[in-house]
Amino acid sequence: MSGGDYVAGGRRLGDVPRTTAATGPAAVRRAIRRRTSPSAAWWGILMVIASEGVLFAAMIGTFFYLRFNNVHWPLPGDPEPKVILPIVLVAILSTTSVLMQLAWRAARAGALGLVRVFLVVALVVQSGYFAYEATDFGHELRATPIDRDAYTSIHYTLLGADHAHVFLGILFNVWLLWKFARGITTYRANALQAITWYWHFVNILTWVVVGTITSAAVG
Amino acid sequence: MAIATPPTPAAAERMELLAKMWEGRPGVLGWFTTTDHKKIGLLYFWTTLVFFAAGGAEALIMRTQLAQPNEKLVSPNTYDELFSMHGITMIFFFIIPMTTGAFGNYLLPLMLGARDMAFPRMNALSYWIFLASGIFLYTSLALGVAPNAGWFDYVPLASRQYDPGRNIDFYCLGIIFNSISSTLTAAQFIVTIFKSRAPGMSFNRMPLFCFAMLAAAGGLLFALPLLSADTIFLFLDRNIGTHFYDIARGGSAYLWQHLFWMFGHPEVYILIVPAFGIATEIIPAFTQRRVAAFPLVAIAELLVVFIGFGVWAHHMYATGIPTITAIFFGSATAMVVIPSTIQVFAWCMTMVLGTARFGTPLLFIAGFIFMFVIGGLSGIMFVAIPFDQQVTDTYFIIAHFHYIIFGAAVFPIFGGMYYWFPKVTGKLYYELPGQISFWILFVGTNLLFFPMHIVGLLGMPRRQYTYPSGMGWSGYNLVETIGGYITAAGIILLIGNLVVSYFRGAPAGPDPWHGATLEWTTSSPPPPYNYAVIPKVSSAYPNWDEADRAEDRAKLAEGTFVLMDGHEQVAVTPVDGTFDEVVEMPHDSPWPPLLALSLLLVFFMLVLHKYGAAGIFAVGTVLTLFGWHSKEPQEA
Repeated sequence: MSGGDYVAGGRRLGDVPRTTAATGPAAVRRAIRRRTSPSAAWWGILMVIASEGVLFAAMIGTFFYLRFNNVHWPLPGDPEPKVILPIVLVAILSTTSVLMQLAWRAARAGALGLVRVFLVVALVVQSGYFAYEATDFGHELRATPIDRDAYTSIHYTLLGADHAHVFLGILFNVWLLWKFARGITTYRANALQAITWYWHFVNILTWVVVGTITSAAVG
Repeated sequence: MAIATPPTPAAAERMELLAKMWEGRPGVLGWFTTTDHKKIGLLYFWTTLVFFAAGGAEALIMRTQLAQPNEKLVSPNTYDELFSMHGITMIFFFIIPMTTGAFGNYLLPLMLGARDMAFPRMNALSYWIFLASGIFLYTSLALGVAPNAGWFDYVPLASRQYDPGRNIDFYCLGIIFNSISSTLTAAQFIVTIFKSRAPGMSFNRMPLFCFAMLAAAGGLLFALPLLSADTIFLFLDRNIGTHFYDIARGGSAYLWQHLFWMFGHPEVYILIVPAFGIATEIIPAFTQRRVAAFPLVAIAELLVVFIGFGVWAHHMYATGIPTITAIFFGSATAMVVIPSTIQVFAWCMTMVLGTARFGTPLLFIAGFIFMFVIGGLSGIMFVAIPFDQQVTDTYFIIAHFHYIIFGAAVFPIFGGMYYWFPKVTGKLYYELPGQISFWILFVGTNLLFFPMHIVGLLGMPRRQYTYPSGMGWSGYNLVETIGGYITAAGIILLIGNLVVSYFRGAPAGPDPWHGATLEWTTSSPPPPYNYAVIPKVSSAYPNWDEADRAEDRAKLAEGTFVLMDGHEQVAVTPVDGTFDEVVEMPHDSPWPPLLALSLLLVFFMLVLHKYGAAGIFAVGTVLTLFGWHSKEPQEA
């Protein structure tokens, strides 16, 4: 019906995959292999990363702007930030980048069972990280309230925003598991690729945020 | 020749089948659930016109108040709310949503040869959030607690200590809410431009309007988060007692200004660059000539926004920033002249070298160039730091930026309304009233804004609700007010002409101007599927490539490249435009308006400090998102 031999924009129509119409492991594997550039979903998540990256750049910029406007940092009377434990925790969280990448690799191969396994393991690590950090955040907040001074203001806002992004990623993964519980489609595989990139972003971001916050304990 | 009429009975059948497949739900409900970029563009158009009327009414009240000295039409407090709401409305609720939301949404997929945006449901969501944020902000005006510290809302004036009401909370949350909508639009445009072009439309064959939209979208994507961070900090300072802007506790009032203008200056270019895009479409159509220096103009459109990110501190010369910083930002500001001038020369040369026919759209573009040059010349004067410090916070500034934002950004919007009216409605507008509306607007605008340069130089400060007699300002102010009313009359004539033309205008046919770009190859108004055959593209002026259009007609007759196996759209490689995928597109969806509604409730609860209730509605928002994704496009 659509003229398989017609050449448009340098490629035969018959060679071009109808990607999102593909459902089932074999069809998804074939469709993704025949695609030569990233999907719109990947571009979409790149826009999210760009936008959120600027938001965090503004917050981190604010942290250092306030730091260089004050003689003491943290401000007098504020507790120094923890250093070792947050770094260990973010190192553990970062392993989920590998797990998510493996899940995406499995989806490309149409291996639905493996996708589910990697997603569940990643979700466990991410949830563990978030549960500990959220509890710790609550404890810290009770000991030193956010409304003490400019240091506590940016400290908690930056850390809270980072935790919120981890939480959002967890919601994404719950959604992915819900989707993959019902089989595999290219639409779901595209979403998995996008969310994998989101996690790469969040993990790098968390390193930068933790580095920024712990820098207050140095010098 | 366009494919407005099917070349064979078989082609007619194919077009009918496509129409059935792409037509959304009929009736009023259809407007709520639509994902058609054209319908969303029209929703944006009508909504922004309402906000334009509101912002215009606010301006007229202010001008009436200032018509003579010691006037007492409004109180100082009301005047504060009026100028704050006027600025916020015109920037966030008129120009940006009109240029990107209305013009961009309607035209971008058509110019790219696509059947819809890359993410149609997200596109609908951006509109509904825009509408919800407007309702949110204007609720504050109805309740008498509208923002009242100006559109740039400087602290410490905007802090709780000096502005204890809910006014600034509405500002912070309204701006954040609106930013979500603009960010969605920006992301949508960039992905659509990279992925949804017709195969063969490599980047160098993309129309200049699309380059302008890419520049504006890129600017929005990178600038808005800075404003969001700024307003989040202010909301926290005001409501949970943080100290970002409180000098006594280690904060900084400069921080607000830096973050605001890091956003605010690119914002000016975001406002104007779509106007450049409109100009670069109208000029070739009305001169029947390709735009001179096409690659330079494309680069200049992108460069204006890029340089715009490095000039913010020229808004802060009067704050006592170090001289070396001021010199750096002055030099960066001077650089903006280069891409701006490239475009002005390119537009003028195209008109000189082509056969210019000064129909109403081109008249508006000529008026735009005239006022852009005046606004540009007064803008470049601010590079001279002592001069800037002298005129800061006077009417000279108001004159300068209204020449840019009204003369240069809004005139092309008016020109664009006339230019694409036949495409959107299928009717021709009345030419003589159109030309009269231009001249009234041109005279009114210059009467309104030019004397502001003079009163500014004479020392009249901005944002004063009145002024004493005997200052030598009264005559100029009266002329400005008269200019304001003439401008309003011009706008009423323009809208009236378009409304009457819609009901009584002659049929336009698909291509009344012999326009250059793809939208003129389809019927007026375009069918729901835009193009029966995915169009062939060999240049940036595809409607003038007769052989390609003949090939499209032949393809339709034989059923090649019609893509009617589903709700299908092509996707291409981002740079070369190589055909890469056929993707299923979503159908109508009730979820976008529902999601916007739940977000509206979240924001209302936040402004009322009912954080628990806000949390509950936030959970509702997440559940709505799950509902949204319960059905995939190929399952419909």
